Amino acid sequence: MKPAPFEMHLPTSVSEVVALLDEHGDLAKPIAGGQSLVPMMSLRLASFEHLIDLNGVSELNQVSVNGDSLRIGAMVRQSTAEHDPQIVKSAPLVAKAIPHIGHFQIRNRGTVGGSIAHADPSSELPAVALALDATIEAVGPNGSREIAAKDFFVSTWETSLIDGEILTGVRFPIWSGKCGFVVEEVARRHGDFALVGVAAAVQVDGSKVAKAAIALFGVGGTPVRASEAEQALIAGGTSADLDAVGNLAAMNLAPSDDVHASGEYRKAVAATIVARAIAKALKEAQS
Amino acid sequence: MSGQAAGRYVGQSIKRKEDPRLLTGQGRYVDDVQLPNMAHVAFVRSNIARGKITNLDISEALQVPGVIAIYTGDDLNPYIKEYWHTMGGPRPALDDPSGAHPPASVLAPGDVRFVGDPIAMVIAENRYVAEDAAEMVIVDIDVEEPIIGLDMAVAHPEMKVHHELNKNFSGIMPYMEVPPVDEMMASAPHVVTRRFKQARATNVPMEPRGIIVKHDRGANEITIWSATQNAHEVRSFCARLIGFPAQRIRAIAGDVGGGFGQKMMVSRDEAAMMIAGYLLGDRPIKWIEDRRESLIAANQAREEWVDVTMAVTPEGDIMGCRVNFLEDVGAYPPGAGGGAGMSAGMFPGPYKMPVVIPQGTSYFTNTCGKAPYRGPWMMETVAREQMMDHVAAEIGIDPIEFRRRNIIHQSDLPYTTCTTLVYDVVTPEETLDQAMEMLDLAKFRAEQEKARAEGRLLGLGVGVYIEPSAIAFGILSSDQANVRMDENGKVLVALSSGSHGHSIETTMPQVIAEHLGCDIDDIIIMQGDTASAPIGPGTGGSRTAVIVGGACQTAAGKLKAKILEIAAHTLEANVDDLEVNDSVVSVKGTPAKQLPFAQIAAMAYMMPEMLPEGMEMGLEVSARYKPAGSFTYSNATHVCTVEVDPKTGMVKILRYIVSEDCGQMINPMVVEGQIAGGVVQGIGGVLFEHMIYDKDGNPLATTFLDYLVPTAPEIPDIEYGHIQTMSNSLGGYKGMGEGGAIVSPPTVANAIHDAVKHLGVHPTDFPLGPSQIRDLLVHAGAAV
Repeated sequence: MKPAPFEMHLPTSVSEVVALLDEHGDLAKPIAGGQSLVPMMSLRLASFEHLIDLNGVSELNQVSVNGDSLRIGAMVRQSTAEHDPQIVKSAPLVAKAIPHIGHFQIRNRGTVGGSIAHADPSSELPAVALALDATIEAVGPNGSREIAAKDFFVSTWETSLIDGEILTGVRFPIWSGKCGFVVEEVARRHGDFALVGVAAAVQVDGSKVAKAAIALFGVGGTPVRASEAEQALIAGGTSADLDAVGNLAAMNLAPSDDVHASGEYRKAVAATIVARAIAKALKEAQS
Repeated sequence: MSGQAAGRYVGQSIKRKEDPRLLTGQGRYVDDVQLPNMAHVAFVRSNIARGKITNLDISEALQVPGVIAIYTGDDLNPYIKEYWHTMGGPRPALDDPSGAHPPASVLAPGDVRFVGDPIAMVIAENRYVAEDAAEMVIVDIDVEEPIIGLDMAVAHPEMKVHHELNKNFSGIMPYMEVPPVDEMMASAPHVVTRRFKQARATNVPMEPRGIIVKHDRGANEITIWSATQNAHEVRSFCARLIGFPAQRIRAIAGDVGGGFGQKMMVSRDEAAMMIAGYLLGDRPIKWIEDRRESLIAANQAREEWVDVTMAVTPEGDIMGCRVNFLEDVGAYPPGAGGGAGMSAGMFPGPYKMPVVIPQGTSYFTNTCGKAPYRGPWMMETVAREQMMDHVAAEIGIDPIEFRRRNIIHQSDLPYTTCTTLVYDVVTPEETLDQAMEMLDLAKFRAEQEKARAEGRLLGLGVGVYIEPSAIAFGILSSDQANVRMDENGKVLVALSSGSHGHSIETTMPQVIAEHLGCDIDDIIIMQGDTASAPIGPGTGGSRTAVIVGGACQTAAGKLKAKILEIAAHTLEANVDDLEVNDSVVSVKGTPAKQLPFAQIAAMAYMMPEMLPEGMEMGLEVSARYKPAGSFTYSNATHVCTVEVDPKTGMVKILRYIVSEDCGQMINPMVVEGQIAGGVVQGIGGVLFEHMIYDKDGNPLATTFLDYLVPTAPEIPDIEYGHIQTMSNSLGGYKGMGEGGAIVSPPTVANAIHDAVKHLGVHPTDFPLGPSQIRDLLVHAGAAV
């Protein structure tokens, strides 16, 4: 479990990072918290001749609120995001997702941007980004651009970032009013990748559900938005049949088997935990 | 029933003397040993379960800068002189009908027999370079159909893992026709048959295997540092393996980070290191197994099926059993690798069973070999304790009442089982009583009923067992303590134990301080170095408290007797009138007349004129202890309550209760630590840990992402009750190192069973992960 030789680059600005990626092309990989990349390199499942270290790029560490959105810089540590007052207030779903990520040692190193850019389909933050219609900010050789979360996740560990591009930040819309935010997952052990999980947000207005956002993870190559279930919840309001909402969310899923659970299990349990998550979210919104 | 009063040291929860060193990262494990000019090893391992090696090309890898040598099977295997482990004895003939050892090889002998099979070893300036070069070794394998899993091994007796053998099993207890038993079974009012399956697990020591071999050609000496449970066996094995004079081999085990049986016997990879280190000469070589190797290629355990047929009267009296033990010993177990023979003997456990007819087969398969793992025979308890619940459910009586009806009472002791074991001092019924008292059974049943009405599934599991601790036959028969008081009155103790995390540096000084009368901090323990340690089998089989403890107690007594003799001479008193407190000998009732140990020690070494006439100078004694019996039996009852989520199949353990009788406890905190560790491993074996292979023989749990060891959030606070009845071994001690791991699996399984049996679900197979439990519920129509 020793990685093959590589050269480490220590840039201090995004422009330097982009230049290095441009120079080394396929042989280079940016490294953020390293919690996924380093084990893959140590197991020799991945090998890069150049690692571009983002840890010295201080401009990626910012958290800011701008009007109706919250921006989290790519290198904000997960442990920071969990407790950052602006994030807790403006994007509670992000903060609530983080305790489910690995263990605290992992969260101390792991970053918000790294998790989203890594695009593991079992990860929490990609699902949160998808549920909340987050906007991904990227910078590459052709300048900067924005990518909607729904267009960002392509398949397992694959995003719509192009060669030479890095994720620099994520903008989350700020929800107001009476809201509830819940991340619910079934994992073999605390901190394991979810067998299946859901990130859910609701905004209620009396007995109406004004807004609903539901995204599942661990059920396919990407996180999956449950739009029909959201519509059913909005249509049904706070007294909607949540089992039916859960079933709608799971209806079109086709998760695969692994050593921990069958695809059938994931699909069935997806329906269960969506119903449970919505129930908790409604309760929170109404309290 | 109560034990002797706790002494000043024995019976006290003294903090572990080894902890400051270990917890501050200052332990000395194999990887901490740095020798000048040391080279590093990486193995090239098979990624094919079975096949012929058609091409093995090391030429490109040899060109990698920093590579020193690359060895293959052709290079190393011819140097094997003898290949057997002291505990298992010399290998049987290839055509021995009763069993076999795998053919001897240290690297793949032209063909591979499991994924992880070592094919070549790369020796380089550092591990990074070794791994770079290992990637460049070209191996082509002509793939053949492997034997994977017990179902395939059982179904295809004609297939063989080892073409050198005339059979595909390492051991067999054939089916026996016993007409009276068969007639009884045929006419019994109730006959219940079940097959219980344990999932393959692995020991997961925190420190994987590791070994340094240094062959000093000039001195004609080999020194080996090894993460082993048994330094003497490393030495003896190496001497036999390469035909090197044993007296010129020194094996050293420093701190060892767990083993649980995996490090009891030398493995093939370690044997390869011995030969390679011997051949290379003068340049020490180090191999530190990484976690991926440990999960793929370090010996594994537990893949077992047990078929039980139990005959019972309508009142619930057990009439007799037939039991068939089937186990998968993989490709290269150390020796025969099986535990079925001992399982057969222990099957009656804490119950009066008039007759048990065992049979068993230990099959080779194209998977990683089987080695001991904390209670290697425990499938008997796993099967029996689940069977008690299944039979109770079938005949419609309460599983706890069924146990009570058949359990061994005090009035039955000494009790000889139908398998000829003699239990002298055991308390299965008393631990069951204590555990039930701790639980409050009525209260739990009320909660369970209330929960059920709400659609929630609570369950209660009970497990009772008897542990054959302190296994004492063959090389395991005895242990020794050499106790030396130096001229300053300080105590150096050399033990034959092989600590790999057993608090021996604390518990054995407790015994010595208690029986010598000195301060515990005046004692230092030396173990694990063949240059200083008395001969012994290392640590395993829950032996240390009983056998090493007996040796320490005897040696301390001998030393104290000599000290008192010197003191009596100087103080002009009778030995009987002397007492010892805090390293000071004084005359009873006349405390002014006293001699500190330091002064007596000075006399013993430097003032011959102060010694009684004819007394030998010095204060060094040794004692070797063998318990009276082949086993010193301890026992316990475990109780577990769970909640099963009917939708997700997730199990939450609510309470875990242990009532244990390990005789006189030396250190209750250490006892509870041993229990806790075992219970966690048992919980893991049921709910989490599964070393699973696909049909092609690929291991699917090759990192800790997939091999799930329980972590703190999964484990409840364990509640302990202690009953202390004195064993007939010295000090009244009983071993208890394995019991936690032996009975916890069926206890947890029984709790799950109790939660779901009213739904028609009767689990028999591990693992019981959420997916499996949900499948069972769906199959029974209890979930959708």
